[in-house]
Amino acid sequence: MEPKPAAPLKHTSKSQKLAKLRRLVARFEPGVAHGPHIQTGFADIDAYLRQQVVPAGLPCGGLHEVVATRVGDMPAALGFAHRLAVRFLDRPHTQDMLLYGQTHMACREAGQPYGPALPAHGLSADRLVYIDGARLPDLLWAGEEALLCSAIGCIVLSSWDEAPSFTASRRLSLAARAAERPLVMALGAQAGGSASAATTRWQVEALPQQGWHVRLAKLRMSYTATPPPEGWRLYPQSLSQNSAQNILQSQPRGQAASRTARAG
Amino acid sequence: MAHPNPNPNPNPNPIVPIATGRRLIALWFPYWAGETTKIPHDKTQSFALIDHYKNAQRLVGLTPLAAQMGLSLGLSLADARALLPDLQTAMAEPMEAAARLQKCAYWLQRYTPWVGHNPSSDGQTGLADYGLLLDVSGCAHLFGGERALLADMQARFLNRGITAHAAMAGTVGAAWGLARFGVSAKTDPQARRQIIVPEGQEAEAVLPLPPAALRLSGGHIDLCQRLGLDTIGDLAGFARRELTRRFGPSPVLRLEQALGQAGESLNPCLPPPRFFVRHNLPHGVTQMEALAQLIGDLCARLATQLETSGHGAQRLDLSLTRSDNAVLALSLPLAHPSADGGHMARLFEERLSRLSRGVDAGYGIEHLALAASRTAPISGPQETMGAFEDAPNKTRGKRRAAPIAALGNLYDRLVSRLGAQVVVRPVPHASYIPERAVKLVPVLKADAADKKDPQSLSANLPDPATRPLFMLCAPEPIEVIAEIPEGAPYRFRWRRVLHEVSAAYGPERISPEWWAGLTGETPKHHNRQTRDYYRLEDTQGHRFWIYRDGLYSRETTRPRWFMHGVFP
Repeated sequence: MEPKPAAPLKHTSKSQKLAKLRRLVARFEPGVAHGPHIQTGFADIDAYLRQQVVPAGLPCGGLHEVVATRVGDMPAALGFAHRLAVRFLDRPHTQDMLLYGQTHMACREAGQPYGPALPAHGLSADRLVYIDGARLPDLLWAGEEALLCSAIGCIVLSSWDEAPSFTASRRLSLAARAAERPLVMALGAQAGGSASAATTRWQVEALPQQGWHVRLAKLRMSYTATPPPEGWRLYPQSLSQNSAQNILQSQPRGQAASRTARAG
Repeated sequence: MAHPNPNPNPNPNPIVPIATGRRLIALWFPYWAGETTKIPHDKTQSFALIDHYKNAQRLVGLTPLAAQMGLSLGLSLADARALLPDLQTAMAEPMEAAARLQKCAYWLQRYTPWVGHNPSSDGQTGLADYGLLLDVSGCAHLFGGERALLADMQARFLNRGITAHAAMAGTVGAAWGLARFGVSAKTDPQARRQIIVPEGQEAEAVLPLPPAALRLSGGHIDLCQRLGLDTIGDLAGFARRELTRRFGPSPVLRLEQALGQAGESLNPCLPPPRFFVRHNLPHGVTQMEALAQLIGDLCARLATQLETSGHGAQRLDLSLTRSDNAVLALSLPLAHPSADGGHMARLFEERLSRLSRGVDAGYGIEHLALAASRTAPISGPQETMGAFEDAPNKTRGKRRAAPIAALGNLYDRLVSRLGAQVVVRPVPHASYIPERAVKLVPVLKADAADKKDPQSLSANLPDPATRPLFMLCAPEPIEVIAEIPEGAPYRFRWRRVLHEVSAAYGPERISPEWWAGLTGETPKHHNRQTRDYYRLEDTQGHRFWIYRDGLYSRETTRPRWFMHGVFP
């Protein structure tokens, strides 16, 4: 399903066939081109999406995968997934809820969303419904059910060590497109890499000084665009306006030592 | 005599009064059938109801007047006619008398919601015994005390011309016995005395009563008479094991129940549900598909009932009766009142498919009953479920279900498959301890919990940016390799991975809640020490929230470090 890069010359007829097939399939597929879409809020990514894809943004009706690059990057991946979810929810005049579900393993390993911290990340705690540990098939079922519910604005599912099968992701992807609601699937490093029918796949890695290195590993909205392999380095500002303070105030080692030495 | 000395000394069974904490009223209507009958008769003359039992026509119901004339229950009609030639008689209607008693039980719910029928008596003499039991624990003060409550109740019965004997005690057994035997009906048929036994004094009140007051069977009562045991006190004087050997387990159990040494429950009789549908099948159904279809039909019928009266179900009870009379009961709470048959049917289907052992239909399910045991009024007929018509190609021009109802329907489906404790919402809680500052409350209860918390910390909430977006389920110990006293660690090991700290911010000191002990909550062990929280970033860019448990050299000499959360 992955579009082949740079077909060799002798297969031109094959690539033509492929292009024809793709046009044909595009006619049957529920289109993402006309549905609502959002800006991610990161200038570089938005600029790239505006240039390369038809809806000029991230389509709401779709399955978006966020994969941690290394084992320790799951919090960063979840943070990016949460950031996308908040952008999806951030539509005027709606009080839609965010459904956040985790597998048992993800619950244990990556922790549960913490209510008092949510306002700093652009979401009020009373707009969160949380599934506190389920098996992956149950979680995917819950995601599909929630896609059909008009009061849910976005769904984030997270799994630590197993990814949904291609069939499951295809099913969820179609359901999301039909419902025009986004489903964000956050996957741990052990779960990433398998085939999936997601509209986009983002690889996220934590960078020092509160940064994320985000790479768009897969983009299904366009057959021609190849995302930049080097990705983007993002330094997300705190989302809420009233807390301008950064999450961590960087402090050189020497200073910390001298300060604590004084205290001691 | 089974025993030469009925009161061996020392008494092997010291009767220790046990306070049950309950207050029960036993009501006994000695002339219920006769006094409440609708059969026309001359009220100034004696009247009796007769029925066939023990191979003769016998009196089964009397009026007080007839009792005064010397008639008694169980007397054959021929003997009664010999005593009173002009006795008016009619055939008894036991079913109707029982129905009237049921009605009376509902009426008595004005005193307490917990009104029950007589506990099953061991003795089946063939004569119907009309009595009721009320659990009035905590209700008496609403009527001006126990005495006033009983007086009010008896006055109301008197106004209707019904003889009611009442006794109040701490146990079902004592109240039952005292109502019937506390005052002799034979010597004083009009007696409407009230007997109130103070808490813990059941023994003194019960011991002088005859053994029949223990709800014994006829055979046991006969045996007591033959042994010369005239009172319960005589019976209680024996060692319990000897009683059991002689009589079987029943008298000892009844004795202990009367004295409050053994528990006894009282089943309240509840009015039948207002919204109720059932389906009887000529042949048992074993196939799940057919069963799902039948349940779907029931749901649709119940939904019609609910909708026409403007109600929505908040709780559904389904019972499936197999051909061997085994009953499978399922109860389903709903997040929002619903009168949508399709939604209910889907919930049941989901629930039945998730039963751990499946539905054991045995030789077939013959009877299905569905009741909405809790309902609430809803405004207007509900739209068909919004969720399933939300697909954009179908919804154009159609109204969507109200978001609140759509959310309720989603909650119902998630809960029925995943379990009530799994689908939760964060509800803030007034506490400075980070893991207690928020509670994950099941969605079905979250609305109530939202309003309940009166003392919120909204005035001085910690800055959300200083809290981790993801909190570990429990703090995990970390191994700090290089540390300085009163400072953040340089290097630590968490989940077997070594982290070099490149930046630190802190400490944020969080002390245990000193008032927790005063309000009755005992702080858990790990909440007894002061914590110093640090926000760290390692050289890889991973961000953590860790704390040191205990103040250096004041609370502990070897502080332990814990990982508590992660920042994105």
